[in-house]
Amino acid sequence: MENVTAMLGPKRLIKKHEFVRIIIQCLNSLGYKNSASCLESESGISHKSPESKLLEMQVLNANWEDSIGILNGIEDLTDETRASALFLVLQQCLLECLSRGDDSSALAILRKRVSPLKVGREKVHNLAAGMLSLKEMGMGKIDDSSICELRRKSLVELEKLLPPPITLPERRLEHLVETAITAQMDSCIYHNSFREISLYEDHYCGRDQIPTQTVQILTEHKHEVWFIQFSHNGEYLASSSRDCAAIIWKVLENGVLILRHMLQSHQNPVSFVAWSPDDTMLLTCGNGEVLKLWDVETGTCKHTFGDHGFIVSSCAWFPDSKRIVCGSSDPEKGIYMWDCDGNEIKAWKGMRMPKVSDLAVTPDGENLISIFSDKEIRILNVGTNAEHVISEDYSITSLSVSRDSKFLIVNLNSEEIHMWDVAGKWEKPLKYTGHKQNKYVIRSCFGGFHCTFIASGSENSLVYIWNRGNSTPLEVLSGHLMTVNCVSWNPRRHQMLASASDDHTIRIWGPSQPRNITTT
Amino acid sequence: MMDVDPRQYENVAINDSDIHNIVLSYLVHNCFKETVESFISCTGMKQPADYQEDMEKRKRIFHFALEGNALKAIELTEQLANDLLEKNKDLHFDLLSLHFVKLVCSRKCTEALEFAQTKLTPFGKVQNYVEKLEDFMTLLAYEEPEKSPMFRLLSLEYRQQVADSLNRALLAHANLPSCSAMERLIQQTTVVRQCLNQELSKDPPPPFSLKDFLKS
Repeated sequence: MENVTAMLGPKRLIKKHEFVRIIIQCLNSLGYKNSASCLESESGISHKSPESKLLEMQVLNANWEDSIGILNGIEDLTDETRASALFLVLQQCLLECLSRGDDSSALAILRKRVSPLKVGREKVHNLAAGMLSLKEMGMGKIDDSSICELRRKSLVELEKLLPPPITLPERRLEHLVETAITAQMDSCIYHNSFREISLYEDHYCGRDQIPTQTVQILTEHKHEVWFIQFSHNGEYLASSSRDCAAIIWKVLENGVLILRHMLQSHQNPVSFVAWSPDDTMLLTCGNGEVLKLWDVETGTCKHTFGDHGFIVSSCAWFPDSKRIVCGSSDPEKGIYMWDCDGNEIKAWKGMRMPKVSDLAVTPDGENLISIFSDKEIRILNVGTNAEHVISEDYSITSLSVSRDSKFLIVNLNSEEIHMWDVAGKWEKPLKYTGHKQNKYVIRSCFGGFHCTFIASGSENSLVYIWNRGNSTPLEVLSGHLMTVNCVSWNPRRHQMLASASDDHTIRIWGPSQPRNITTT
Repeated sequence: MMDVDPRQYENVAINDSDIHNIVLSYLVHNCFKETVESFISCTGMKQPADYQEDMEKRKRIFHFALEGNALKAIELTEQLANDLLEKNKDLHFDLLSLHFVKLVCSRKCTEALEFAQTKLTPFGKVQNYVEKLEDFMTLLAYEEPEKSPMFRLLSLEYRQQVADSLNRALLAHANLPSCSAMERLIQQTTVVRQCLNQELSKDPPPPFSLKDFLKS
């Protein structure tokens, strides 16, 4: 017999006999019964505890009174657990009485022994009600092997109820290993793709998983580029500029972007674009500009909404790609919901409507989020009309929502990015800092596998990337010559990031690899 | 209390024979045999030939059901109205369950279990019956069923409910109204008052209270 208090591991945290016992359990559950019993005899440690073995013997042999005696004799059980365990034994006993046609014994068990147990009315009632179907089953249909099977099943249920060390939780070793792996994955700051984990090495991803290097520079715009966004399928990028145009770029198979359509019809700078969820249409709008709807395939303008009296500051789509909402930067103009032909569906307007500077609809379509008067985040549940408001102390210049519809981030001109939960349960936001922002509209976005990263532009020409778990930047990317206004992370190619700058260019970033920079 | 102006009643003429019919229908519904006889002879009304016999039979069936002797009630019902229980499965089930309850109360639990299996389970897997049956079966779990959560099923009120249903079914079978005219009139007045209450927002008449009406 081994020394019971032997400890394992460099920190001596692991009790040796517990470790061996869960290995034996694992061997058994994998089907290696011989190895399991070999290990039991070599180590002198038994998989099942003495109480457990006794109980097994009594239950399989239908020695109900002895089984009950054992259960009553176990000291560390709560009353509730003990009552549930006794219930299981009595239930099996009752069933076997019924199958033998011994109705009166079965009834006696039900009335005199099960009823008084403190297991809750419902369990007792279900058993009483179930007696009829049990009787049906028992009519000569239950043979010895089925009875044995049922006894085994109730034994398994019993074992699940009893606490360690009498019985072990199922698959304990697998659970512990999985916990360790999950912890490794959670602390992997560069983790950006689905990769199979090997037990042979601690998991960690390198810096090469995220975009850190310029791989392409797009120069078609003739003035400051203010806004960019990848389409939902990651196959296109839309950009808009102070040069009053918007451009649709195609992302080729090999990751290079080429110009597809130049959308020139606005009279003023275009500051905002929005892709329809099905990526067939694009909305463009800007300061002092109307809202235009474009067909992505042909690059033609299909509709113009509103007039010069209604200044659209931002817009968003509902998941059906048929309805859009847009907000006005004029106070009292409010928020409008339109269909693609320009028919008004709903409006929130009037004297108390403040100016709307940003809008988003969560990808699941449940919530409409608006930025009111620069400092208020208003989250409206579209179905129930319930709304809650988060007030910030500084002006908000950007709003982005994560792909799972659960989180939003806002840029504040106090040089902080705040993350809030859409459900409104958090009392404080998560904060990210390091970038520069005082005067201009700087935008940020979620990105990467499971949106674990946040990227933002900055007034010092740099692009900043954070892992959501840390408030200080993970990477700072240099290359642009002037303020970086906006960033967008490709939702399908998790290693592709785009940034738009006052230096008239858009840069595409990719993982660090030896690669030539392509300029188009 | 703002009520309908009693002087308006003067404008409504009532026919004596209508009143007689209302009273008679009440007496017949509840099988007050001797009272019916004297009432008819006092008022000189006409009745179909074997109304006495039918009333007597119905009365016996009703009382057997009321005291819990469901099997006797079922036997007599089948003699009187052959396919009635087949056409009223809910009623049939409720009557059989009365017998089940009787067995449980006399502590004949094994018999009760047997009875439930042979007579009640054939009603099939219809959700309604399955739920009702479960409720009854829970009575078996208690040594003192009167103290179980389902004690209502052992009560006189419950038996009354089932007996009333049986009575109405028998009346319907004999092409008589299943509700006495008296009942219907009171129900009518109450509903009309409720409707008026909803329609008139200003000074509506109060809900109909039979007690207050009789006192006034």
